[in-house]
Amino acid sequence: MKRATFICSLFIAGVSFAGEPQNAAPGGKALGNPQAPIRIDLYSDYQCPGCKWLHENTIRPLIQDYVTAGKVYLVQREYPLPIHAHAHAAACYACAAEKIGKYQLVGDQLFRTQDAWEKDGNVAGAACSVLSAVEAGQIRALAISPEILTLVNDDIKAGRAEAVNGTPTMIVTKFIRRFPVTGPVSYPVLRRFLDSLLN
Amino acid sequence: MSTRLTFVLRIALGLVFCYAAYTKLRQPWLVFAMSIDAYRVLPPWAVFTVARTLPWTELAIGILLVSGQFLKYAAPAASLLLVVFYAAMIRAYAAGGGIDCGCFGVGEAVSSMTLVRDGALLSCSLLLSFLEYRPLRPHASPPVSSPGVPLAR
Repeated sequence: MKRATFICSLFIAGVSFAGEPQNAAPGGKALGNPQAPIRIDLYSDYQCPGCKWLHENTIRPLIQDYVTAGKVYLVQREYPLPIHAHAHAAACYACAAEKIGKYQLVGDQLFRTQDAWEKDGNVAGAACSVLSAVEAGQIRALAISPEILTLVNDDIKAGRAEAVNGTPTMIVTKFIRRFPVTGPVSYPVLRRFLDSLLN
Repeated sequence: MSTRLTFVLRIALGLVFCYAAYTKLRQPWLVFAMSIDAYRVLPPWAVFTVARTLPWTELAIGILLVSGQFLKYAAPAASLLLVVFYAAMIRAYAAGGGIDCGCFGVGEAVSSMTLVRDGALLSCSLLLSFLEYRPLRPHASPPVSSPGVPLAR
């Protein structure tokens, strides 16, 4: 009897835990409710013009309309392409910024100033320009640490496992159905696709 | 010789068109719409229209090519489609690539390989169109009897 009560209480605790929305921290690489009906894994390269376009024209409204509303769980991943000289460094600075809860802020800035640091290679300057002096010092140290390098390499490995062959690539998942989408898709088209999955 | 070449070309191209249509029709049409949209050459309303109609057009052309019916129309239609696809792919490749080709479903980026493949398909369809529209060689003229020599009865 005691055993049955214990199992029941474990089950009830499990159900209540699963039903509770757990929103990911807004400064992190993962945004939204992990239990959202749709998950999007976004593989992106900070030096790629298509990624910049997607980030500014599609991802921003997507976060506002779907991620904040709990309909989409967005996981941003680094996928610096070897053809882009400064993309790996930019990915390291973005991941370092996540450690201090400033991933979105630094990511926005890296995309906004892409044209400049692509030419002069001053990724650190661009990433730190939106941070305080203390935070800038922190991410400068973190960006060259083995821990951050491992994080970036793990994302690259995950991308290779997903057969990502270009950036930006979104892997849209609903239950067991997965739809890889490569290229800068406009928001109206993506919205219609997401609505069709939600309905 | 040209009859055999026409046969091989129309069967090969027809099967490719049917397969391309199948890979698009087996997935939600909006997935194909996103592939078209990534080229950034059409407004959303046109993207939706093309995504809904293009796979069926490819299927119709493929069936006509395989069956050999209306070849005079199917071959140029295939060439026209391939010219449009090729132009869009070259534009995307020149802009840095990184987009889904959308040729045979999803998961294949525009690359030098896809350009070579679609270039070969375009060449085949242009050759097929040429073979269909080239002027026929006149037949050898029948023997004419010379005066004074009666034809055998």
